[in-house]
Amino acid sequence: MASVSFRNVEKSFGSTRIIHGIGFDIADGEFTVLVGPSGCGKSTLLRMLAGLEEISGGTIAIDDHIVNDIESKDRDIAMVFQSYALYPHMTVADNMGFSLRLRKADPALTKERVAHAARILNLGPYLERYPRELSGGQRQRVAMGRAIVRDPKVFLFDEPLSNLDAKLRVAMRAEIKALHQRLKTTTVYVTHDQVEAMTMADRIVVMQEGRIEQIGTPLELYDHPANLFVAQFIGSPAMNIVSGTLRRDGGQAWVEADGGVRWPVGPTSAGQDGQTVAYGVRPGDLGVGRGADARSVPAEVIVVEPTGAETELLVQVGASQFVVVLHGRTQAQPGGKIHLSVDTGAVHLFDPTSGTALTA
Amino acid sequence: MKASTLRKASAEAKLLLIGIPLAIWTLLPIYHLVLFALSPKEQAVSGKLWPDNPTLHNFSMVFHQQHHYLGHFWLQMWNSVLIAVAVGAITLFIATSAAFAISRLRVKGGRTIMNLALFTYFIPAAFLAVPMYKTMGNYGLLNSQWALILAMVTIATPYSIWVLKQASDKLPIELDEAARIDGATPLQLFRLVYLPLMMPSLVAVGTYALLLAWNEYLYAFLLLSDDKSTTLGVALGSFLSADDSPWELLMTTGLIYALPPAAIYYVFKRYMVGGLTAGAVKS
Repeated sequence: MASVSFRNVEKSFGSTRIIHGIGFDIADGEFTVLVGPSGCGKSTLLRMLAGLEEISGGTIAIDDHIVNDIESKDRDIAMVFQSYALYPHMTVADNMGFSLRLRKADPALTKERVAHAARILNLGPYLERYPRELSGGQRQRVAMGRAIVRDPKVFLFDEPLSNLDAKLRVAMRAEIKALHQRLKTTTVYVTHDQVEAMTMADRIVVMQEGRIEQIGTPLELYDHPANLFVAQFIGSPAMNIVSGTLRRDGGQAWVEADGGVRWPVGPTSAGQDGQTVAYGVRPGDLGVGRGADARSVPAEVIVVEPTGAETELLVQVGASQFVVVLHGRTQAQPGGKIHLSVDTGAVHLFDPTSGTALTA
Repeated sequence: MKASTLRKASAEAKLLLIGIPLAIWTLLPIYHLVLFALSPKEQAVSGKLWPDNPTLHNFSMVFHQQHHYLGHFWLQMWNSVLIAVAVGAITLFIATSAAFAISRLRVKGGRTIMNLALFTYFIPAAFLAVPMYKTMGNYGLLNSQWALILAMVTIATPYSIWVLKQASDKLPIELDEAARIDGATPLQLFRLVYLPLMMPSLVAVGTYALLLAWNEYLYAFLLLSDDKSTTLGVALGSFLSADDSPWELLMTTGLIYALPPAAIYYVFKRYMVGGLTAGAVKS
């Protein structure tokens, strides 16, 4: 087990810089997820930690030892690839024991460690099979088994679930999380799927275009996004955003959007009267009110999507469309007029030019 | 349903229309080879479709070296085998190392080497025969089987590098990365991951080089002029040096000479087609 620290890490391919001075620390035993849209540099950062890419600038340290010039095999890490990268010509047992074989470990010990990992992952019946004889989920477990057998300081996962179907992905997500809770090995996990990030991470690092947008626990990012990018990236369905002008009158505050729509804001919120802001509210923080009142927002229903436990509404408010998630059922019909109620405590205001959140 | 069956039948008919003449075209010389080999000397050129009393006497003559031209049959056969196997093995060693270094280790200048390899095929091998003869003479290798082995390796290697490089490129790079993280040195990666996965292509390329050397005439004729060092292929050619060539023995020896390649091809045909086309198109 080990801590990992990135200090001002840069990466350039030729004259194109794709990672711009990234620095953060990962505590011993922590499950950290690097998340961001494709091309944000998250995989490159992971590969630099793995020793598969050279580090153009800055330092990466594992357990306070700088590993910039240390080869992959001497970094004491194990990696699970998106494509599993199992050796096709070796059985499951040989795949899992390969690293120990290279280390010339005692065959009895190798066998024992492989059996132990197979027990954890329920791979016992498959040890003598070849990867081509396994299903996607089983292959993924073998790839994890190969990592477990190593007993490394750090586990690296590079989009390990992207090749699985939706149902299996949810199951494997829980398995990986349970595995981490059991082994408590420091883990760095790369994904573009924010749901994976939210459900698995102790801490999430949100990246965009080679920079860190925000670091925090899943709920910190959800409740207090530092900027518009994080606000829209984290959470599903995405946060509704509308731009307008902040107004204060007595104890009341609201954002006036196009068409004179007034979006209510909590009285203690940040921002000056007359300031242009981006108003953000999550679909779950909107509700359908009983009737018109001073704080409600009139809307027209466009689409109703019942999913059973929840109902998703797409509504038109002024010139913009909003998504509303209701916990339960609704009588609303497409074309119907409703009044949206807003949980003003959960409203987010952002500076529309810099994108940063306004804080009181 | 009916239209599609009809279309299938017509497609098959067209294939047969091409296939049957092609098969006759290919098999006719082999038929003659067999016909001559089984005919007694006096009936060999009688024009019959099948000899009246087929005999294996010709084979016995060849195996017992009972003719002036066949004085060193077994030795020359051995030379052919030795040279072909050596060429196959050495070519494989060089081409595999080169393909691994260029495709997997991404050594600098790899592209240049690939281009140079391609460039060698701008010059027909026959043009290089005389320079090669001079070179081998300078090294004092004339009449040594090494001369032919080295010459054939030179001719076979560039193509082999190309085929193996293309096949290597198809192996996912993640396998190398996984092996590196697992702790493999480049040599361990080569031995434990690369070679097993390349096996079909290696068999195909090895067979290609082996058969190239086995079938070579010009270089063997030039570089090995001594009866005791030359190959059976060259010995076959020398049958025609006299006016009264023993055709039936020439054909018998030729048939025997053609058997090992046919056997090799039959055994490895599964690899041959897959291996030589692997990497030809990006999937």
